Amino acid sequence: MERKRSSRHRQRYRKRKTTCDKIKDFIREFIAFMFSNVGIIGLVVGYTICGAFMFQAIEGTEASDDREEAIKDIHSARSKTRDRLWEITQKFNVLEEEAWREQAASEVLKFQMEVIDAINKGYDGVDDVKDLSETSQWSFSGAFLYSLTVITTIGYGNVAPKTEWGKVATIFYAIIGMPLFLLYLSNIGDILAKSFKWSYAKCCLCRGCGGNRDSRSVSPENSVAVQVPEIIDETDEQYEESHIESTLGDSVKDDTITVPVTLCLAIMVGYVCGGAILFSKWEDWDFLDGSYFCFISLSTIGFGDIVPGDQIYASKGLDMSFIFCSMYLMLGMAIIAMCFNLMQEEVIHKFRSCVKAVKNCCSCSGARDDDVDTAPIE
Amino acid sequence: MTQSGASVPVTRSSVRSRSSGGSSSEVDPREKVKACCRKLVEFMFTQVGVGGLVVCYAIVGAFAFQHIETAKDPKWEVEWHKAQTSPDHNLKGAWVQLAAVKRLTNLTANKLWDVTSSENVFNITTWKKSTDMILHEFQEGIVDSVKKGYDGREPEDAWTLPAALMFCLSIFTMIGYGNMVPKTTWGKVATILYAVFGIPVYILYFMNMGKVFANCFRWIYRTMYECTTKKPSIKVIELENGDTVAHPRVIVPTTACLWVISGYVLGGTIMFAEWEGWDYLDSAYFCVTSLCKIGIGDFVPGANILESRSGNQTKLVINFMYLLLGMGLIAMCYNLMREEVKVKMQDLKRDMRKWLEGLRIQSCYGKKKSKRYH
Repeated sequence: MERKRSSRHRQRYRKRKTTCDKIKDFIREFIAFMFSNVGIIGLVVGYTICGAFMFQAIEGTEASDDREEAIKDIHSARSKTRDRLWEITQKFNVLEEEAWREQAASEVLKFQMEVIDAINKGYDGVDDVKDLSETSQWSFSGAFLYSLTVITTIGYGNVAPKTEWGKVATIFYAIIGMPLFLLYLSNIGDILAKSFKWSYAKCCLCRGCGGNRDSRSVSPENSVAVQVPEIIDETDEQYEESHIESTLGDSVKDDTITVPVTLCLAIMVGYVCGGAILFSKWEDWDFLDGSYFCFISLSTIGFGDIVPGDQIYASKGLDMSFIFCSMYLMLGMAIIAMCFNLMQEEVIHKFRSCVKAVKNCCSCSGARDDDVDTAPIE
Repeated sequence: MTQSGASVPVTRSSVRSRSSGGSSSEVDPREKVKACCRKLVEFMFTQVGVGGLVVCYAIVGAFAFQHIETAKDPKWEVEWHKAQTSPDHNLKGAWVQLAAVKRLTNLTANKLWDVTSSENVFNITTWKKSTDMILHEFQEGIVDSVKKGYDGREPEDAWTLPAALMFCLSIFTMIGYGNMVPKTTWGKVATILYAVFGIPVYILYFMNMGKVFANCFRWIYRTMYECTTKKPSIKVIELENGDTVAHPRVIVPTTACLWVISGYVLGGTIMFAEWEGWDYLDSAYFCVTSLCKIGIGDFVPGANILESRSGNQTKLVINFMYLLLGMGLIAMCYNLMREEVKVKMQDLKRDMRKWLEGLRIQSCYGKKKSKRYH
């Protein structure tokens, strides 16, 4: 009797532990998972935000000073041109069209050169000194995009540091930030690749397209359903452990299902096209320009001739453009890392078989000649 | 029949030995040549061949882009003439903005003349106001054109061969300066395709060059170690089953790689500062941002039009070589440091997990204690 009570007590004790401690264990595992893998995301975002503050502080004041100067230059150039035109008009008492036009044209050309100089210095169409702070390229979101382009090595160049401290800061920020971003890419690529493989395996099994039933991510559920109720607690713990292992991603052996290369390529192309559509709607580009921008940014080439925010003057639009662009870039590079992770095995395998085929060809041509030597004698 | 069948293998083998014995002098040189060719193909496929492949790809790309961006339609003259007055024309690429600016200049000149000649009684203030307005419109038009890509240069002046070469290099090394960009539709499509095929070739070059340079560097380091300490740098260890294993006594430390890279950046800084007339900070900034593949593009060596027009193209070629070699050195460092970094990262991950496990066990233990007391 006592043994029954104690055994029932033990069962009840284990059951209570399972139901509420299971949740607590899950939360603890989740926090550990976040800290070791996804914590990297927070680190990268934090580093970019710090960089944004730093660059805004270094370059912001200098840039707005430069822009003020550029506006003053343009104002003075315009009034100078006007005065010189007046002088020309006064010189020709009887208005001779040809001569006047010639001189006026040269004045206009000089004015054009001065406008281009001011643009190089930083003038961008904002004519009033009051509106400067709203449309600055070194606002917080602009500096955030700049920091992101430095650590991802995209490097647009439409916004570039002009002060000495800005350049020094860029050098050191890049040297420290690039390995951090590579770490982020490899971690996130791993996580995304594993979860994608898992969901692809589930999809495959659901549709029954010949997936392997031995994959670890699927078996525990089957085994749990089959087990006798008394032993459920132990198998639950085992399932938890294997689930932990597969999520923490150390020793999963479930890649008998490989994701096909075409699917990965389709994902990448789809992301570029999706971004192209969104950007062309938001920035008023055409589809080719949008996809050109998305491709050049995601491949980290980053020319910088077409950048979001270069055709919008309103302050709200500018901030939203930069932030949307930053998010698109971070997510896009993670997706590309995932696709490369998924394609890696298959591509390496195909490359090796290619090289082997070439080598076989070379050795085949040698072996064939031996046969040719002996054949006619038969 | 069976007798002949039984005897055939014997004759065949004897015949084979006779044939091989008889024509051995003929077969050997041919075999040698064939083996040589095979080795050459393998070598080309791996080491130097990839470098040559990259350079060829860049040169081919340079010619292609130059052709695409400076191509003129047969009706170009007609369209250019039409574009001087009307915005409805068939020009493409950089010509669109060049025509727009020409039109704007003509329009401004006409407006100014109208304003000046129409005032019968000359009122200075109204004249000045209207002139100012006209100039303001002109200024806004110029800013608009510059945003759309106007830079005052005609395509033939901009797309010289060295500039196109630098452009191709900036695509497949993923640097992407941006001082030269394709402006035609076909140019943009060609850029995307060129990148899709060029980047894997470049990555292949990167990995191979890294291996080659890493091996060279290890050899140099070990030779210097042997010379300076007079000790052999490889020690032979006897394993338990009697095999011997050559274990390198000295591994190239990470700091050596970093010194090499710093020296290269310093050399580049001095070289570019002397040639381009930049100051040392700008030069160092250029070297670091280029070697890190960021490529901001505000400083690009050899982008001075006058020099490339006068034919001083050696500078651009030397820049090209500097960047390729620099990428190879970075690949070497990556190769040498990779093992160390990987081991360190795994240790870090393991330690973190152990610490978290320890926390979890502690909290579990604490909870169990509290439960027992209830």
